[in-house]
Amino acid sequence: MEKKGGFIEWLDRRLAITAVWRIMMSEYYLPKNINFLWSFGVLTMLVFAILVVSGIFLLMYYKPDAKLAFDSVNKTIMMDVAFGWVFRHTHAVAASIMFLVLYIHIARGMYYGSYKAPREVVWITGFLLFVLMSATAFTGYLLPWGQMSYWAAQTITTLFEKIPFIGPDLVIWIRGNYIVADATLTRFFALHVVFLPLLLIVVTAIHLYAVRIVGSNNEDGIPMTKEEKKVKGIPFWPVFMAKEYFVMSVFLLFFFYLVFFNYDFAMDPINFQPANILQTPPHIYPEWYFLAYYEVLRGFFFSQNLGLIAFVASMFIILFMPWLDKSPIVSGKHRPLYKIAFWVFILDFLFLTILGKLPPTGLFAWLGFVGSIVFFLFFAALPIISKIEKSQVERAGR
Amino acid sequence: MKELKILAVIVILVLIGYLGIEPLAHGIMHKHVEEAIKKYNLPDFKFSDLDPLPSGITGNAEAGKQAVQQFCVSCHSLKKEGINAPMPPQAAAQSFGVVPPDLSNIGGILDKKYLYNFLKNPQKATENPKFAMPALGLSDQQIMDIIAYLKSIAKKDMNGEDVVKEGCVRCHSIKYQKISALSPPDTMKKYLGKVPPDLSVIYKAKGEEYLNAFINKPQAIIPGTGMPRVGLSQEAQEKAIAYLDRISDPHKEQRQKVGLIVLGYLLVMVGLTFAWKKKIWRNIH
Repeated sequence: MEKKGGFIEWLDRRLAITAVWRIMMSEYYLPKNINFLWSFGVLTMLVFAILVVSGIFLLMYYKPDAKLAFDSVNKTIMMDVAFGWVFRHTHAVAASIMFLVLYIHIARGMYYGSYKAPREVVWITGFLLFVLMSATAFTGYLLPWGQMSYWAAQTITTLFEKIPFIGPDLVIWIRGNYIVADATLTRFFALHVVFLPLLLIVVTAIHLYAVRIVGSNNEDGIPMTKEEKKVKGIPFWPVFMAKEYFVMSVFLLFFFYLVFFNYDFAMDPINFQPANILQTPPHIYPEWYFLAYYEVLRGFFFSQNLGLIAFVASMFIILFMPWLDKSPIVSGKHRPLYKIAFWVFILDFLFLTILGKLPPTGLFAWLGFVGSIVFFLFFAALPIISKIEKSQVERAGR
Repeated sequence: MKELKILAVIVILVLIGYLGIEPLAHGIMHKHVEEAIKKYNLPDFKFSDLDPLPSGITGNAEAGKQAVQQFCVSCHSLKKEGINAPMPPQAAAQSFGVVPPDLSNIGGILDKKYLYNFLKNPQKATENPKFAMPALGLSDQQIMDIIAYLKSIAKKDMNGEDVVKEGCVRCHSIKYQKISALSPPDTMKKYLGKVPPDLSVIYKAKGEEYLNAFINKPQAIIPGTGMPRVGLSQEAQEKAIAYLDRISDPHKEQRQKVGLIVLGYLLVMVGLTFAWKKKIWRNIH
């Protein structure tokens, strides 16, 4: 690409694009001992791009008004606009799949110890991205103004009421009204289409930059030295991306199968009934990706306050993993105890997710409680496991 | 093939999650619906809880015409025969809650056995104690005559849209088809407890199984609902539901066609990207 005197050189002198290209792509080396789970980072970017593009098209016809929103989605976009349904289904499925990809990405980081030093900033920005993405999903879910949109927003915003002193005022401030109403819809709309995506882009940039500085982790958690990189490493471009494109194509095949032939899972039937302030649906539940946290909230069924604290903790505790787990061994591949804890955690998360949609009565309530305790036990076990491992390493080293 | 193993683990976990969140949760949350469907064997187009048709009585359409003009047209219109309703719709809705149906095509959508029971005892047949039409004290012969007459004048080969217009839009609007309910919302609210839901995308909200059971026997699915059993015949109900499906999802064919093209394209992509990956990675390892 370095044709002397060509456009690239002209641009290079003004923007130093070849240097950027080298740092970001062609001389950013990844270790060879990584598997396709390392492709999920780029997959989240792909899904984000799909969300932005489909979202822009939806934005052209969507009406953020309590009187018009439902019909602008279900009639205008779904029935009248040519191929409007493609964009709506794509957007809805992508929102759901974003969290699947994100959870796999996070779980990979947890298993192989990618949160450990020196990758704390990568972990923190990643966590911020997860929180921002959750907020984007939550605000976006209100926009179709269906029954579940409305009542999920009503339920979740009510939670803020429990915050001491400022709670009740805060809820009104968030909603812009005493109940979820037109004012809530328009402000959620503003957050969903402008503020949150902007933040997501900024934090994504920092996330990627941080990875370029500290380098990718690998299956064994042993970093390459500078000399090893050029010999043993694979450059991000074109070698890693060659594999990534293959993973992307397979992913897109699955993704568009869902969009065209199995989109129902991303659209709750109840949401095809317009929001009705006077009629509470018999079951209120969030979208699947929040069910685990929602179940932690309900798990402490005997105390609302305790449930709320647990709910907040369940979403934020993962941020502190680099400091809870100070074990000298990085990768879970070489940590038998951690491996057990990890899989118990994953299965517990799945268990909570499934339980989160079921009515919280009788046995389910108790199972939810047990599941919530196990959720936190994982994090409580981390300092203990690292202590054991530390002494093992020291003994072996002596 | 470590990578395939990892993929298998992911697929299994996702499948467990999916089956738990969708079918399992659905089964538990909609248990009462499943139970009602099982208990009453819905949709029950034999209307097993109602009295059988009187044996040995055949209806006479000519006599039925007389009976209709004697008993029915004091409330109902019969536009096909040039008989208008005695009251304007607004006034009728004020007194009855809803506008009484025009009888021109009603014989074409209702089940015969149901219609017989309805004319005998409307409250029992509709399972709605507040149903506005009173029992008229007709004899079995008169009822069979009326049924014969109504069936003889009803439009033949009614399509789904016709059925829904005859059977549903007295109370329900279908906004996206520019159809508004014949009865005004405020009188219906007084009569039924709430304004009946719009039917534009009701198929997506409720699904075929639910609609089939609910229309057939509303009280079994939602005890105390204001919706009366209307007694659609099997043929009419199937047509109506097919129509509701079509209007709620007008691009189904296009979706399936475009979907196949997109998936085909992506299959080619998978092949190409795999070949490129092979080429780049040949000298690595």
